[in-house]
Amino acid sequence: MSDRSQLIFTGKPFQYDAERDAEFERLVKRYPTRESMILPALWLTQEQEGWIPAEAIAYIADRIGTFASQVYEAATFYTMYHLHPMGRNHICICRTLSCWLRGKQEIVDYLRDEIGLKPGQVSEDGKFSLEEVECLGHCGSAPVVQVNGEFHENMDVDKLKSLLAGLK
Amino acid sequence: MAEMVKLFVNGQEVEVESGKNLIDALEVVGIEIPHFCYHPALGADGNCRMCLVGIEDGRPPLVPACKTPVAEGLKVQLDTDKIKKIQRDVMELELINHPTDCPVCDQAGECKLQDYYMSYDHQATRMRVPQVLKGKKLDFGCGVIHDQERCVLCARCVRFTRQITKTGELGIINRSDEARVTLFPGRPLNNRYALNVVDLCPVGAMTSKDFRFKQRAWFLKRNKGICHGCSMGCNIFIDHNREKYKDDLIYRFRPRFNPEVNGYFICDKGRMSYHQENEGRLKSARIDHEDSPLVQALQTARRRIEASDKVLLLVSPNCSLEQMLAIRSLATEKGATISGYSDGCIQTGDADGYLIQDDKSANRAGLELLQIDTTYDFFKESLQRADTLVCFNNDLFFTDPDPVVAEKLKVLQTIAISTHETPFSRQAGIAIPAASYSEYAGSVINKDGVLQYFGRAVEKNVPAPEMISIARDLGATLTEPEALLHAMKRCIPALAAAESDQIPERGLKLTLSEAAHVTA
Repeated sequence: MSDRSQLIFTGKPFQYDAERDAEFERLVKRYPTRESMILPALWLTQEQEGWIPAEAIAYIADRIGTFASQVYEAATFYTMYHLHPMGRNHICICRTLSCWLRGKQEIVDYLRDEIGLKPGQVSEDGKFSLEEVECLGHCGSAPVVQVNGEFHENMDVDKLKSLLAGLK
Repeated sequence: MAEMVKLFVNGQEVEVESGKNLIDALEVVGIEIPHFCYHPALGADGNCRMCLVGIEDGRPPLVPACKTPVAEGLKVQLDTDKIKKIQRDVMELELINHPTDCPVCDQAGECKLQDYYMSYDHQATRMRVPQVLKGKKLDFGCGVIHDQERCVLCARCVRFTRQITKTGELGIINRSDEARVTLFPGRPLNNRYALNVVDLCPVGAMTSKDFRFKQRAWFLKRNKGICHGCSMGCNIFIDHNREKYKDDLIYRFRPRFNPEVNGYFICDKGRMSYHQENEGRLKSARIDHEDSPLVQALQTARRRIEASDKVLLLVSPNCSLEQMLAIRSLATEKGATISGYSDGCIQTGDADGYLIQDDKSANRAGLELLQIDTTYDFFKESLQRADTLVCFNNDLFFTDPDPVVAEKLKVLQTIAISTHETPFSRQAGIAIPAASYSEYAGSVINKDGVLQYFGRAVEKNVPAPEMISIARDLGATLTEPEALLHAMKRCIPALAAAESDQIPERGLKLTLSEAAHVTA
């Protein structure tokens, strides 16, 4: 996992649109404590913006009534939250034990050398973004790559090449 | 006294207090269980895994001692090969990305990583890959500097800001080897107890901007003291050192545990108040604005007091009980009036319901116990009648806006006995330097009526005389230690009833009825 501590300030105040505002109020009733809303609130933000700007973290903390540091912790702990704008196609490569042993590094090296895409970055044309993530729970078919939320098992460089060729 | 239970540690029977966890209970009988994250004020977090021990009763082979309460007959293993291996392994993991910059680290000498390395690890590194680099010398605000690479992620600082100050500025972000303590951008440490994270940090990750690079820990002499910053009377360590060719200086105050008073912590203002002990002091005696030998100043002061008809003694609410008694005996001897007026010490609205109090003096309860009047009306009336004012470190009236008081000060004969150079000492007819609270021993009573004793910590190259000996030189009769103790016992029945003449380490709680027993 890369260092995810760098947040991006957009310089604009964040708030939910009417739909997500209503959804927040609906969800908050489900939990015994308001702190439980941290993860759903981050999801709502990502749905709305595509990623999570620093202002949104402060907004969520203040709206829930918890510490900004606590929302910051959750947002950086889970790689599913994007802390900067992503490419049109978001690639996650598992870097935990089984995938590492079964050759995830070759795939990461290929992307770095051939496309110039490093973990935590977006390609220059905005087509791809890459993140190394912790265990995706498909160790039996390692290495595993997730593209736009879809799992691709038993991956290697050749399979990745044909996969990427089919993406816009 | 809590109930005792018997348990076995490495086969040896020991008797410990019930209701505690293994770490706390065994510490009392001198058995150390290494730990990073557990702290009695913050509870058991169980994240560091350093305190894993074996219990022979069929439960899982290893349990964290911080989460295991003592129980009768418990068989605890601390020295099996398995436990030793676990301790070595945890240490190895802690040290993988640790910069091991002990020679330039402030914590060296009082660092848990160092101590535990020597006691439980002692192996060479096996690391052959570059270390993870993180943030260095990050200014977290409130005088706290953070080094993310030295951090062992015990989360004590994080839990302190969430549980104790409830300000929650700190968090641990990322995960795995990239995890680090940090702030949310733009929300720095902003509470009045922030520097406690420096003490809480078991390693050198949190350091104090004020103390950094000033002294090596092993050169500091650690004396027990009482903070005089407010009426809470927090227990502190006074860490001081006399460097070669220099004077004995205080380098920091640290909190000292006292469950009856301050618990484990002190406020930042009190912690920083050590600067006032080192700086701005009245260094030499003066007669009519001319430097003078101390003896001569004392003799002149005595003559002037004896030649006066109406002397007003003004005593500070920061004086110790012993000093107040000595000064009161001087008043009796000379037929002088004595006042403890010091409303300037009170900053209404500053108290926070935790440690910080409105009253910025250490012993106002002492003034009350000795029935020394503290009202403004009495002070003003006495001042108008007086021809000589002897001020024992209490010149808060100096900025009194009342024109009558201001006018009177111009014509009055004044004697300032002062620890510090102040506007009043500069103006006084005679100025006599006095020892401050780190330089004498004495007793004070805090706002809850807890009587506490503190010893002498600092010995200056040229010690200023103690207030009691100054009072004696001015003609006080009650100045010998035995006589003062006797007088204190007459005021405080609880002290008289105590077996020892020593005030207990954690103080003596006086009841209201005791305060009412006062002998005038």
